[in-house]
Amino acid sequence: MTKAGDDRPIMDHEYDGIQEYDNPMPRWWILLFIVTIIAAPVYYLAPGDIGAGAKKTEVYDKEMAAFAAAHPNMGGVNVTPEQMAVIVADKAEIEKGKALFATTCISCHRADGGGLIGPNLTDDYWIHGGSPVEIHTTIDQGVLAKGMPNWGKILKPDQINSLTAYVVSLHGTNPANPKAPDGVLAGATPASAAAAAAAAAAAPPATTTKKP
Amino acid sequence: MNARLDSFSYDDDIVRKFLFATIIFGLVGMLVGLIVALQLANPAFNVSPILTFGRLRPLHTNAVVFAFAGNAWFCGAYYSTQRLLKTRMWSDSLSRFHFWGWQAIIVAAAITLPLGFTQAKEYAELEWPIDIAIAVVWVAFAINYFATLAKRRERHIYVAIWFFIASIITVAVLHIFNNLSIPVGPLKSYSIYAGVQDAFMQWWYGHNAVAFFLTTPFLGLMYYFMPKAAERPVFSYKLSILHFWSLVFLYIWAGPHHLHYTALPDWASTLGMVFSVMLIAPSWGGMINGLLTLRGAWHKVTEEPVLKFFVLAVTAYGMSTFEGPMLSIKSINGLAHYTDWVIAHVHTGALGWNGFLTFGMIYWLAPRLFQAPLHSKKLAETHFWVSTFGILLYVASIYSAGITQGLMWRAFDETGRLQFPDFIETTMRLMPMYWVRVAGGTLYIIGTIIFIYNIVMTWKKRPAAYEVPVVTAAPLSALPAPQHAKSGGLLAMTWHRKWEAMPLFFSVMVALCIVVASLFEIIPTFLIKSNVPSIASVKPYTPLELEGRDVYIREGCFNCHSQMIRPFRFETERYGDYSKPGESVYDHPFLWGSRRIGPDLAREGGKYPALWHVRHMENPRSLSPKSIMPTYPGLLSNTINFDGIQKKVDAMAMLGVPYGDAVNKAPAMAREQAAAIAADVLKNGGPAGLGDKEITALVAYLERLGTDIKKPAGVALAPSVPKAGGN
Repeated sequence: MTKAGDDRPIMDHEYDGIQEYDNPMPRWWILLFIVTIIAAPVYYLAPGDIGAGAKKTEVYDKEMAAFAAAHPNMGGVNVTPEQMAVIVADKAEIEKGKALFATTCISCHRADGGGLIGPNLTDDYWIHGGSPVEIHTTIDQGVLAKGMPNWGKILKPDQINSLTAYVVSLHGTNPANPKAPDGVLAGATPASAAAAAAAAAAAPPATTTKKP
Repeated sequence: MNARLDSFSYDDDIVRKFLFATIIFGLVGMLVGLIVALQLANPAFNVSPILTFGRLRPLHTNAVVFAFAGNAWFCGAYYSTQRLLKTRMWSDSLSRFHFWGWQAIIVAAAITLPLGFTQAKEYAELEWPIDIAIAVVWVAFAINYFATLAKRRERHIYVAIWFFIASIITVAVLHIFNNLSIPVGPLKSYSIYAGVQDAFMQWWYGHNAVAFFLTTPFLGLMYYFMPKAAERPVFSYKLSILHFWSLVFLYIWAGPHHLHYTALPDWASTLGMVFSVMLIAPSWGGMINGLLTLRGAWHKVTEEPVLKFFVLAVTAYGMSTFEGPMLSIKSINGLAHYTDWVIAHVHTGALGWNGFLTFGMIYWLAPRLFQAPLHSKKLAETHFWVSTFGILLYVASIYSAGITQGLMWRAFDETGRLQFPDFIETTMRLMPMYWVRVAGGTLYIIGTIIFIYNIVMTWKKRPAAYEVPVVTAAPLSALPAPQHAKSGGLLAMTWHRKWEAMPLFFSVMVALCIVVASLFEIIPTFLIKSNVPSIASVKPYTPLELEGRDVYIREGCFNCHSQMIRPFRFETERYGDYSKPGESVYDHPFLWGSRRIGPDLAREGGKYPALWHVRHMENPRSLSPKSIMPTYPGLLSNTINFDGIQKKVDAMAMLGVPYGDAVNKAPAMAREQAAAIAADVLKNGGPAGLGDKEITALVAYLERLGTDIKKPAGVALAPSVPKAGGN
């Protein structure tokens, strides 16, 4: 059934009517094959950051070191009470913070800040301090042991400022069905707050300071 | 010289059976594909617990690979092999055992996968009793095939047969060695390998399942049906030889390219990459031999739908086998891995190469098998264009989605922070593309329905009884002794002609080829200690965590969440320190995953309080409004079978996991840890009474993930009770 219909060399066999030409393999195809075969050991044994000798973790360490050198001030931005006082009073900051809060914080603190998995942000009780600087620090550094991420690695410094402004503005908004108060009453000195936190950490959870 | 001629007939009934199985399961597999595509575009399409993405995605892949492509291969192989060897299959009973056994396995898969029975290894999800059934059916197929080779009436075996032989042998080896496991229940087992070794074995299998189930058998089909349909000789016999052997030898090394930048050792990764790059030419050898066979017959392509399908199939093969090696290059893989790019890549192959080759083959076979002219050539043309447009929409949208994902994940802003720190931002960006994919897939399926209609209408015109032509041929013993050229050297390939007359020797050479190539990678992976430096603080999972891990496996979480952070700054910023080989030494099976539809979970432990996970499983959108994750409310009401945990711990201990005390008191340990987690959830305002619910086990597992490395060495099997929520 198969007709060659030309005079190209054909193999002297056929299977169920199928014939095969004895055409040479395309030269470009052989060349491609040879190039990839030669490239394989060359690449495998190549020195530097390619080949089998290049450890991916070493390349990574270099990348990290280079980044750290170029960005000495990542995270841990120090703010002063004076700076924060200006920011928390700025309506525009609060508005920006509100938008960020909706995408970043509501999954744990609820849309109205009344608390869900994370604590109520609207009442007078604070676990890690309620001053603008302390709130800023909590957002920036996080409390990893309790599930609060260190947002300073993710958000930009001005975004953390805006969020702080918005969280401060939530105070006293009295949302419905808030989470029970947790932490110490605002107005306590940082020292007494630290002492209370230490006491809370040392004591069983049931005795953590909780006031109605 | 003996003039005796045998009279015999071909078994076309078995071919017809496989043909129908192909089109039925093809449609089913594609429809499941459409459902999972819809589930990604809108989570409302998930019906928890059975019809969720995590359980249906493996059903889709298994159905299209093993049911659709598998039956298509067998259909074409039974038709062509008998004719190429001038003999009926050795045993009609074994042919039928193969057919019915294979269909029973498919039905078993369709039942067990949605019920959550899975080994958690891609394309090897089916649990151990089904694996044994596969092995038995496969051996029956192999016996029948090799016995048929022995009673052939053709001295030499044609290139299509070479490919079928290689596929049968290699699939058997891959299947057996990747599925070795210890049963812990009627439909539950643990892989005997763990962590890095398990990952290596899985992708040695996974990559070569693509090679020897979707590539080499289909090349065999191409070598028979393309010249038949084009009525032209094959372009080059020498090219067939070289590309066959190089493909068989090189393919088996390439698996590690699925594990670039993971905890797999660098040498294996690099080896996988260079062998993948060397595969371009051998793969293209098949494409060239297919397309150039059409030289002098291109005018037929315009009027013959069969050839149109073949041309697109072979072109798609060429494109995806060029793309495959490109994706194996580490730096490109760094961008593409875990993204939809890989999904686009496999669909070029699956929809284009496997799908269209099958359609073309069946359009060619139907009139011959049903002994009636094809119902409508015009409908076949329509099918071609509708499905081609479907493929274009599918791959264009999913390539865009994949590249978008890859670029967004790695984007940093000018301050050096992640530009899109919230994973959900990247997910939302993909939604329009996911809908275009749904449209493309729908078009492809409409084409398939037109195809099935056309074939069924052709079948309806069949005669009352099929005519069974009697064929006559001289037996092998009566054939003249082969005249093999004495010389010619290696490149003249006259030596190969001798091999073609010795199928058994030929098969042994193929087996040697793939086994030796495999051992070159497997032996060092298992024996070199420095591959997996041990980490003293990494301990086995507690009994409850182990139970939670099985919930994670049952729900198919690994289909969307990886547990393997690569050493890139954009990954470690997002997820935490990169994953170390020593961290998964107790992971039977490994759960590194291959996709990030959701974020990586390798360091999930400690990121959220227990209550967060409880609420998130109950309804992810209550915490993350745009999430596309299915809901799992059942986890809050299903009770844990505490007494069953002992058996699992014992099985792990048998595999060498140092369980110590837990071997005797797993249920009690699990109850204690569960009670502590439930109390924590309650204290923080969550629901009461979770102490014996599956959610608690899952939370225990998630809270443990990736935390060991942060602990001091020597802490014994410490259950990770999450700390109180809040800050």
